Amino acid sequence: MSTAVAPMVAKRVNGGSFLIEDLTAADVFTLEDLSEEQKQIVKTTADFAEKEILTHVDAIEAKQFDVTKALLQKAGDLGLMSADVPEEFGGLEMDKITSALISDNISVLGSFSVAFSAHTGIGMLPLIWYGTKAQKEKYLAKLATGEWVASYALSESSSGSDAMNIRTQAVLSPDGRHYVLNGEKMWISNAGMANLFTVFAKIDGQKFSAFLIEAGTPGLTVGPEEHKLGIRGSSTCPLSLSDCMVPVENLLGEAGNGHRIAFNILNVGRYKLGAAAVGGARHAFRNGIKYGNDRIAFGKAVTSFGLIQEKIAESATLIYAGEALVYRVVGAIDASLAELDKSAPDISLQVQKRIEEFAVECSIIKVWGSEMLERIVDHVLQIHGGYGYVEEFPAERGYRDARINKIFEGTNEINRLITTGWMIKRALQGKLALLPAIQKVMDEVMAGPSPREEQGGALATQRALLANAKKIGLFCAGAASQKFGQTLEEQQEVMGALADIIIEVLALESTLLRTEKMAGTKPLAIAMAKYYAARSFRIVEKSAELIIGAVAEGDMLRTQMTIFRRLSKHEPENTVALGRQIAGAMIEAGRYAL
Amino acid sequence: MRVLTLIRQVLDAEESVRIKDGAVDLEGRKLVMDTMDEYGLEQALRIREAGVETEVVAVAIGPARCQDVLRNALAMGADRAIHVETDAKLDVIAVSKVMAAIATQEAADLIFSGGQQADWDSHALGAATAERLQWPQVTWTNALEVKDGSLTGKHDVDEGSETFAMPLPAVVTTQQGLNEPRYPTLPNIMKAKKKELRKESLAQFEVVPKTTVVSETVQVKERMKKMLDTKDAAVAASELVKLLRNEARVIG
Repeated sequence: MSTAVAPMVAKRVNGGSFLIEDLTAADVFTLEDLSEEQKQIVKTTADFAEKEILTHVDAIEAKQFDVTKALLQKAGDLGLMSADVPEEFGGLEMDKITSALISDNISVLGSFSVAFSAHTGIGMLPLIWYGTKAQKEKYLAKLATGEWVASYALSESSSGSDAMNIRTQAVLSPDGRHYVLNGEKMWISNAGMANLFTVFAKIDGQKFSAFLIEAGTPGLTVGPEEHKLGIRGSSTCPLSLSDCMVPVENLLGEAGNGHRIAFNILNVGRYKLGAAAVGGARHAFRNGIKYGNDRIAFGKAVTSFGLIQEKIAESATLIYAGEALVYRVVGAIDASLAELDKSAPDISLQVQKRIEEFAVECSIIKVWGSEMLERIVDHVLQIHGGYGYVEEFPAERGYRDARINKIFEGTNEINRLITTGWMIKRALQGKLALLPAIQKVMDEVMAGPSPREEQGGALATQRALLANAKKIGLFCAGAASQKFGQTLEEQQEVMGALADIIIEVLALESTLLRTEKMAGTKPLAIAMAKYYAARSFRIVEKSAELIIGAVAEGDMLRTQMTIFRRLSKHEPENTVALGRQIAGAMIEAGRYAL
Repeated sequence: MRVLTLIRQVLDAEESVRIKDGAVDLEGRKLVMDTMDEYGLEQALRIREAGVETEVVAVAIGPARCQDVLRNALAMGADRAIHVETDAKLDVIAVSKVMAAIATQEAADLIFSGGQQADWDSHALGAATAERLQWPQVTWTNALEVKDGSLTGKHDVDEGSETFAMPLPAVVTTQQGLNEPRYPTLPNIMKAKKKELRKESLAQFEVVPKTTVVSETVQVKERMKKMLDTKDAAVAASELVKLLRNEARVIG
């Protein structure tokens, strides 16, 4: 549907199918497939981040919002905020890979990234998808150029993940010209500098709806800035609505349709968060290497020590895997959207439905990406030693800034529950052939040991690990649903552990596919793929043990553990040697480089 | 008028330099447009935007990978690009022959060239090109305007600076401060896709470089890698002065 900045590379697949279907490298999009134009967009974005954002860090962190607003406007001038805006309203209407590339490469400072994504994502997308022509004409160009800043107000003090429980009320005025809103909103990103708010309220306490409210509307008050752990340069305030009169023409979408707006944009927010986490990680990593190469201890650069190299190797590998995961999924979304007729009257709705098909992948990217970033900023801080703990180096800020990613856009707990729950739901609806796949694995394991399927190539061992990770996931899902049946969803710890296996299957598969796509031309990529596979499989094993321990006891436990051990049997890779190889290349390059 | 801007591709200043088999190894390294050439391109675009009817042609002479910087130039706003593709290592005198020939073929009125090459530090290309064409040139330009078919501007000389007037055709070399180059905007990146990027072979220019690079080494300046281990700015400053004077010996 969107302007393809690159030819479609990815195969059209169904959301969630990765657990039961195998793809080949040619079926997925990877960063190696970028078009010339996409590479240039990456460069413009990265140059903007380096020369404009990083030179204004102190002002941004000091909440000088005029500086942040000026930078947003500059980003708008470059077109960085128009990628998702329809051409009809002056936008560029680009593919989702391109908009993910922007989120990725602009992310060098948490505070600015949050301002940027709150504006272009949850700020602008509801209007793009649900706005009337008149609403879009009135507001969209102003937002896309950065002249105005957008903000999205859903959460309240007593409703966060349970968004449907909001208390803010809207009542139609007696003359029928206004909705009168009353209530309180909390944790509202960009609130302190926004010109337009998308506010959720229940009409007559019933119909969950969204409203566009301009700053300065009588009755709308922006409260004081929160004092936050991180992203201190971003604005986060409460809002108060006291008999706030909103013109009826500013109702966004239909009355009672607000849940759609609230939930559908989350999927986009999640994959963009993953892309931003990859960009943030790459930047933090560069700081870590730079410091470590300069810092001498015991007469040598600290990057020459094995335990520091281990951190460098793991960080680099996670960035590599993160790129593989994010762009594979977004590429699949683009392949699905490419089938749509752009001129269809209900195109926005169709786009949302297509993206919603990939809800599980979006949740996975969100969880995996935020935890990857958390791990890397921790490593980077540790490489700095004491200097990582003080404000003079960016490591300290990066560490604090990363933390929010596990909370917003749906907490990682919620997203883990979504991951497993969505798979189960799809299976029960018959939309995903999970049950036959589980049955097949059960039959196979019950039949006893079978000769291992031998695959060729540099990653044959890792391919076998992936195949077994899928089987372990299906086996655990089967065992857990046998034990708990309908009540499985209440067993959050088991649901979470199942999610971890599912997450690792997608991340590992994406990493292997990306590496295979390079057809063995990059020894470093092969090393990272092997390194990631070893790490990934440890998580799968740990999660499987938790599940089996929770669902079986006695003889049953022993039988299930026998099956599990058979599926997880493998010889360890020499991750010490691989780690040194990976770290050596990164240390020499002075940054993440493939 | 027609403006040629020479575009060179160089290693990004942030990247570390690596030597392999006696030559700088660029494999896997981040390569960018030489900033000095970016000033020239930006100035050409500004001349066009100031209302002088101008065609801006970006020219690169070098291996296939140079087309990346030409695409950057097109995305920044150049009207078209010429790529003389060659893997031969050309010295600046050889390159100037190619530049002069293209200027003649294209009936160019103005040539921009970087004041100092970011990689090899050479200043000679602009001068050599002007010499071949018998055109006037100014170097180290930091202000430039086209009016009524001639140039006025300001440039640095050893003792200070001069303002100048010069007829066209001419060669101008750039320096930092001439302008602030723009970023290619997303719409312009998309538009650049349709612009002409013409490939030429080196053979027609009959250039034979007279110098041959035998080997390359990187000057290794071991940094002192000392951290001033104090929070007190005054103490740190006096410690720094001591180090600069006694150990680095860069101040008297």
